[in-house]
This record gives sequence, structure tokens and C-alpha cells, in this order.
Amino acid sequence: MELFRQTNIDFLRWKWWAIGASWLLIVIGFFGIFVQKGLKFGIDFAGGTQIALRFAEKPDIEHLRKLLDATNLGDTGIQRYEDPAKNEVLIRVQQQKKEGRDVTQDVMTALRQGLATGGDPSRVDLNVQGRDALSGRLLAADPDHLAGGGSNENPADHYARAAERIVARRTQVGIFRSPADVEGTPDVSQAVKDWVKANTNAGPFVVLSAENVGPQVGADLQKKALWAVALSTLGMLVYIALRFRSLPFGVGAVVALIHDTLITVGLLALMQREFNLVVVAALLTLVGYSVNDTVVVYDRIRENQRTPKKEPLETVINRSINQTLSRTVLTSGATMLVVIALFILGGEVLNTFALTLIIGIIVGTYSSIYVASPIVVIWKDFVEKRRAKRVPVKVVPPPPAEPALPKAAPASAEAPRQKKKKNRR
Amino acid sequence: MSKKVRWRVLLILVVVLGTVAGYVLTGYQHARKEWIGAGNPPLKLAMKSGIKLGLDLRGGIHLVLQVNTADALKAERDDAVENLRNQAREKSFTLGDFELSGPSSFAVNVSAQTDTARLEEAVKRFLGDWSYNVVGGKWVFQLKDPARRAAEENAVSQAIETIRNRVDEFGVAEPLIAREGVDRILVQLPGVDDPKRVKDLIKNTAFLELKLVESGPSDRAALLAPTSGQVPPTLDLVEAKAEPGQRQDLYYLVRKSAVITGRDLKNARPSRTGQFGQMGVTFFLTAGGAEKFASATGANVGKQLAIILDNRVQSAPRINERISDQGVIQGSFTAEEANDLALVLRAGALPAGLTYLEERTVGPSLGADSIRNGITASIVGALLVFIAVVVYYRRAGWNAVIALILNAILLAGAMALLGSTLTLPGIAGFILTIGMAVDSNVLIFERIREELRGGRAPKTAIENGFAKAFATIIDTHITIVISAIFLFQFGTGPVKGFAVTLVIGLLISVFTAVFVSHTIFDLEYGRRAHIDTVSI
Repeated sequence: MELFRQTNIDFLRWKWWAIGASWLLIVIGFFGIFVQKGLKFGIDFAGGTQIALRFAEKPDIEHLRKLLDATNLGDTGIQRYEDPAKNEVLIRVQQQKKEGRDVTQDVMTALRQGLATGGDPSRVDLNVQGRDALSGRLLAADPDHLAGGGSNENPADHYARAAERIVARRTQVGIFRSPADVEGTPDVSQAVKDWVKANTNAGPFVVLSAENVGPQVGADLQKKALWAVALSTLGMLVYIALRFRSLPFGVGAVVALIHDTLITVGLLALMQREFNLVVVAALLTLVGYSVNDTVVVYDRIRENQRTPKKEPLETVINRSINQTLSRTVLTSGATMLVVIALFILGGEVLNTFALTLIIGIIVGTYSSIYVASPIVVIWKDFVEKRRAKRVPVKVVPPPPAEPALPKAAPASAEAPRQKKKKNRR
Repeated sequence: MSKKVRWRVLLILVVVLGTVAGYVLTGYQHARKEWIGAGNPPLKLAMKSGIKLGLDLRGGIHLVLQVNTADALKAERDDAVENLRNQAREKSFTLGDFELSGPSSFAVNVSAQTDTARLEEAVKRFLGDWSYNVVGGKWVFQLKDPARRAAEENAVSQAIETIRNRVDEFGVAEPLIAREGVDRILVQLPGVDDPKRVKDLIKNTAFLELKLVESGPSDRAALLAPTSGQVPPTLDLVEAKAEPGQRQDLYYLVRKSAVITGRDLKNARPSRTGQFGQMGVTFFLTAGGAEKFASATGANVGKQLAIILDNRVQSAPRINERISDQGVIQGSFTAEEANDLALVLRAGALPAGLTYLEERTVGPSLGADSIRNGITASIVGALLVFIAVVVYYRRAGWNAVIALILNAILLAGAMALLGSTLTLPGIAGFILTIGMAVDSNVLIFERIREELRGGRAPKTAIENGFAKAFATIIDTHITIVISAIFLFQFGTGPVKGFAVTLVIGLLISVFTAVFVSHTIFDLEYGRRAHIDTVSI
């Protein structure tokens, strides 16, 4: 199967239209970043607390919100998370002005008290407490009667293992609806199960994750993220300029790259997607991907420039884009397939990551054709025009020997290259 | 099969089998640590545990703490003050009041009668780390920069050591405790699902100070009334630990410089100490600490001594006699609290206070969900790519599929062998590598097609295709590796995992897409002297 059989599209004919379209997208992006609601920073950058909980029953968001408001933690937010059928919510609390308050504990205590299911609060909450608390209680109660001797097993190890299995069971079923759910735990004695059933509570929620980022860390990360993106862009400029021994190529690739980053960030801001560490990781990947695409076209341009016949740069570039078109579309398509799979199936955390890459790949593919190469043409045109203007002023008394030298040099440099090419064939 | 091709096939087999064996062996190694049953862990568990999982997949706690290095400087300053006082006593020159102006500076009033030559000599001998200048009868001391840096440095490395001791006592498998930047410490405790307990254990600075009491306990206003609301420069106002049922906050005014601190502790253990058998903690001092303690208690019999733990006065017993090498911390502790306090005092008090900058807890069920989602997405993504490649390139497409599968196997093996950590973004990196590794195949295949279109014989076309695509493949890989290096530099935990996966995957893809794929072509078409068509 072939999608593109020796196409001959005059891509550069539309370059000014393309540049207009790019500017439009960038302006829309800027509107998203600076005018509209702005970038929605996640707690990685903004600081604050974020807690993901899974409830046994469908949570009443309004009720939870009232409980949160009563904690006096300032600005709080609560929203459904992931698949609604999973009964999961995400709670955000703003950065606290005063240090020393354990926000996670405060939120959990408030919710547990507000949703009290009538259990004794001094008991272990099977859904929140970990294996250490549980094994401590089991060891104290000793339902398997190991303390009196007669068994060569260490009671502490024995109950630690039992607790570990019960917690593993919780992970497996998602949440214990009541202490009776421990019945299904494998390899735990009936006495332990009975003790757990009689002496523990199954609280209303399981903590999926709890994150708390202080203001310094957020500010540091913002700075680090900006530096990382800026330095990797600079790294690309240097690499391309060295590899292609040409500044316009380096500039073209970097302008395309900045173009891709700006548009992607702008669209993320417009969509009010959360901007966090993982998104920065996606952006940095995009930096590599965008240049990768551009390099393939540039490699072709360089190869085509080595042919003996002198063609205008635009023709060479057009031919190179056409020759690599099939590869560009195919590779972007293949990468797009995996990224779409991630977008749909990868879960909440990878969702924005995948979206960033989806936007980035589309924009990056477009820019490797319509931004990176036209810039080389425009740059060269511009330089030549300036040189053409300067020539009559400079060459007033032409020294007889000198003009021959620069002309001879490129010719001799060209000759061995041609030979090489013939050899390869 | 030509000799050259035979060697290549052999090399590929060795690499693949070696990596697979390496993966399984590493898997067994990891599985054995977690396996609680008898005998060897089953192969299934070994296959699962070859690659180390990051906290976000495995569940656990990630903490970033900041060491309040000012605390360590204060201790340094208090030592200097103490030294100077001792010298004054021994060499019999008189010193006026001390002013503790900052964490690393202090001043002392020197009257006109004082023998400044002796003072100067004492300073030269015992306060070499301090610079001073004399401002109208007042000597102002400032800790020199190298000494200050050394003290801060020490505080951070001691804090790391202390946290490591405590975590070891708590019993966490494979904890990571590392320095980050100048004064930050990263603590990662995989598999820990009791965040509150661990956090308390680490955060408990157990910064013990024993200071002489000037006045108290009383409420703030009453204590500060004689000095019209100002805390005198040589004193500190410290809150007392609230007792149950207590109506208002109580404070003590204590001397700024400590008699002894946690650094002078040799051992600590819980004990029944109160009149009614309440729990307390008995501590024992080092030889140096005992000396200081003995002289201070001897000189201040009848006064109160405040036992201050983490800036709260636990108790302020009256000094009845000269005490040398042990003391008791009383307070209304439960047995558990007394136990934990003794543990942290024993494991070493932190040389300085800690502040939590960042804490992230991932529960085990979230990690399990993430892995499930990630694996599903990877399999579906890979299958889609395989189908696309086979439909587009027919027989040569299968060639690419084999290269991609090998890529995935080698990547998993390399990660296991290098001991690198797989994180959730790392899974994304894994599957992204598959999308990008296909790029090399596409570049080669498109070149071969072009050569065929140009009328070249199939064999030459294949050779030329590989040769011409090679430079481009290297270029495209280098660009991504450059961006991944910056990613690694920038990233914390999960993002670093992503960068590592990406780089290893890309390096492997050069091998699979160029070397392996070329060899497969040679195997297919190399036998015949002449071929008419290539299925591509």
C-alpha cells in the first residue's frame, strides 16, 4: 500500500498563508495563556494539597463540599475523578498561609466525622489505616493465641503477614464496604477474620493518593521547568547549526520548535487542562519530536543540494518535502496511534500527557513542513537581497586576482562530494 | 546463509537471550526479597518483579524535607559563648553581658578594666572560626564563612544519617534517603501505607535542649511585664506543652544558650518515672555532655531547669543537686509515645529542625490501577502500530514488527539489568518508544521504495536504503536524546523515570531497526543470487 506515490505538491506556494495561520494559532494560544483564565497550574507548580479518595457509596459532592468548607482551609475544590462509576473524587486545597497544619489529616478527619457511620472512632479504620496499625492491634489482641508459646512462629511476623494480606485484599476489591468483607482474604486464620469483623470499622473511603507541595517547591519547579525547556531548545539550535553547518537551518528548526511549544501550551490553557510535571515532560518530549521531524526534511534538503545542477532553493525544498512526505505522515500516524491509545486507556494521570502529545504531534508535523523550511527560504532571500544591495557600493576598484579565489574554493569542495555520491551508487 | 549473516544472527541471539536471562535472574533476585513462603518464588512472580517500580506505581511515600540550618548555627554559637565564658573563668578576665544577635553572630560587652590581651589570646586559641571587630567596648563576633558552610553541611549530612537510622529502626524495605540541592533531603519509602506514623517519626526532630529557667511558668503578659513586653536579648520565651484540661497557654522565660542539647546524648529508654507510675524517658549523656551538665547543675542548685523538646517545655524540674550523666524527661506520655520518643532520641536527635516541603502518598490501589491502565494502553497501542505497519509494508512490515517486539523485550531487560525504575510516565515512555522506533523502519523502507522506483535491482535497493537512511536515523535519535537529557536534569522521580525509559528505548531502537532489521532482510533475500521483487 502506498499513500503518496511521487507527489509533487508546491508546498512553499502557500508559505505566507501558513505563516498567517501559525500566527493566528499563536495569538489564540496567548489569549488562552494571558487573557482568558490563564494556565491552570497543578499543585506541582502552584503548591497546595490534592487528595484522591474512593468512596464505597456514590459520594454526595454537595455534602462533602459543606464539610470541607467547615475546615477553614481557605479555597477548596472538589470534583469527580476518573470514571464516575468508580465513586472517586479529587479534593484540592489551596496553599496554606500558616505553616505546620497537616491539611491531609484535617481534611480526612473532617470528612470521616461528617460521614460517620456510627462506628467507634478509636477502632482501626480498615479502609484508611495501613498494615502497621492493623498488625499492631492484632498483635495486642492475639486472636491466634501465639503469645503463650507452643508455636515456633514469631507472633509479630505472623500478624504482620496477616495484616499485609488483609490490606492486599482491600487493594484487590477496591474498598471494604464493611469489616465482614475480610472474609474473602486468603491465607488468614478464621480467628483473625472474626477478630477483625468484631473490632474494626470500614470507613467511608479509601485514600488513593495524597499530595502536599509547599510554596518553595512549586516556585523552584516552575523555574526549573522554564530552564529545562529553554536549555533544551538552545541545545537543539546548537546541534542543528553544527550538524548542518548553517545558521538558517538551526534557526528554522528552533523557530518551528518554539512555534509548536507555544501553540501546544496555549491550547492546553484554552482547554483549561491542568499544567503539571507530567505535562512538562510531554512538552520536552515534544521538543525532541518536533526537531526530529524537521531534521528528516533538512537531511533531504542537504542531500538534494549536493546534486550538480543548480536549482533554486525553493525547488529543492519542495522536492525534499515531497520525498519525505510519506515518511512524515506515516511516522506521525504511528506515533499518533499509540498516543491515542494512551489518551483513551491510560487513565487520568496520562490523559493530559497524551493530549499534549496529540496536539504537539499534529502541530509538529505541520510545522516541519510549513514553518521550518519556509524560514530557511525567507532567511536566504532576505540575506541575498541585502547582499545584492550592498554589492555595487563595495566592489568599486576590483582587485584582479581576488574574485577568482572564492569562486574556486566552493567548486573544488563540491567536486569530491559528487564523486562520493557516484561511488555509493 | 553467508558467513557474515550467520555471525550477525548469532550476535542477535546472544544479545536477546542474554537480556531475557538477565531479566529473569533480576526478577528472581527481587522476588526473593518479597517472597514470604518457603523455597524459591514462582516464575510468575519473578517475571512480574524484574523491573523496579517507582513509588507512583508501587505505592509509598515521597517526602522532601528542608533542614533548618539556622538551628545548627545557633548550636555552634552557643558552644562558642560557652567556651568564652569558661576561658574567662579559667584565665580570670571579666566579661560583660553577652548579646546573641543572630544565628551565627554574638557580641560581648568588655569593660575597660578587662585584660584584652588575655581575651585576644583566648579568642585566637578557642574561637578560631570566628572573626571579630571591636566597636566601642563591644566585641562583635561573626562565624567565618567556611566554618558556617561546614556547620550547615554537617547539619544536613547528620540529618540524613539520623533519618536513615530512624527509617531502619522502623523497618522499611529499600528506602531512598538522599540529599537534594544544598539543604534539602529526599526520602522515599516504597510500600509504606501508614503515612502519618512515618511522617511523625521523621518529623519528630527530637531536638532536645536543657536550659536554665529565669521565670515561669506563667502567661505571656505576666512574664514580659518587667521588661515592658520585650523579650530580653539573652532570654527566650518558650511555650510549655499543654496538659489535658489546661485553660490557657503557659510560657517559660529561659536562658538562650543551652546547658546541653540532644547532641550530648548517649542513650535513651522509656521508663516509669512519675510518682503515679507515668511513663517518661530516661536519657544518658556522653562524657563531654556529662561534664557540662555537672558544672551547670552544680552552679545552679535550687534553680529550675527546663527540658525543652522541639521548642516545647516538657517539664521544668528544680535542680536539687549536682547531676552528672543522666536525666529524665517527664510528661504525660502514653506507653507508645514514650517508646517512640526514646526511639528517636536513641536513633540520634536531628541536629536541626525539619520542614516538610513536599509530601506525596500513593496508596497501593491507585498504583495497581495505573499499572493496569498503562499495560492495556501499551498493548493496544503496539497492536495498532503493528497492524498499520503490516498493512502498509506487507512482508517488510512483519520485519518491522519483529524489530519492534525485540525492542520491547530488550528495553524491559535493559531496565531490569540497569536497575532503573519504571514510573507511570515511564510506561508512557515505553509505548512512545514503540511509536518512535517505528520511525527508523519507516525511514529505511521509504528509502528502499524510492530506490526501487528509481529502477534499481531489489538487492541493491535494500543495501542503498539502509545506507542512506542511516545518517538520518542517527540525527533523529540524537535530537530526542538531547531533549531527554534536559528532561532528566529537570525531573523529579516519575519524570526522571520517563527520561530514562525514553533514552534506553531509543538506543535500543538503533540496534533493532538498523541491525536486526537488516539481518532479517539478508536472511530473506540473501540466499538467492538474484531476486525479482521485494514485498515492501
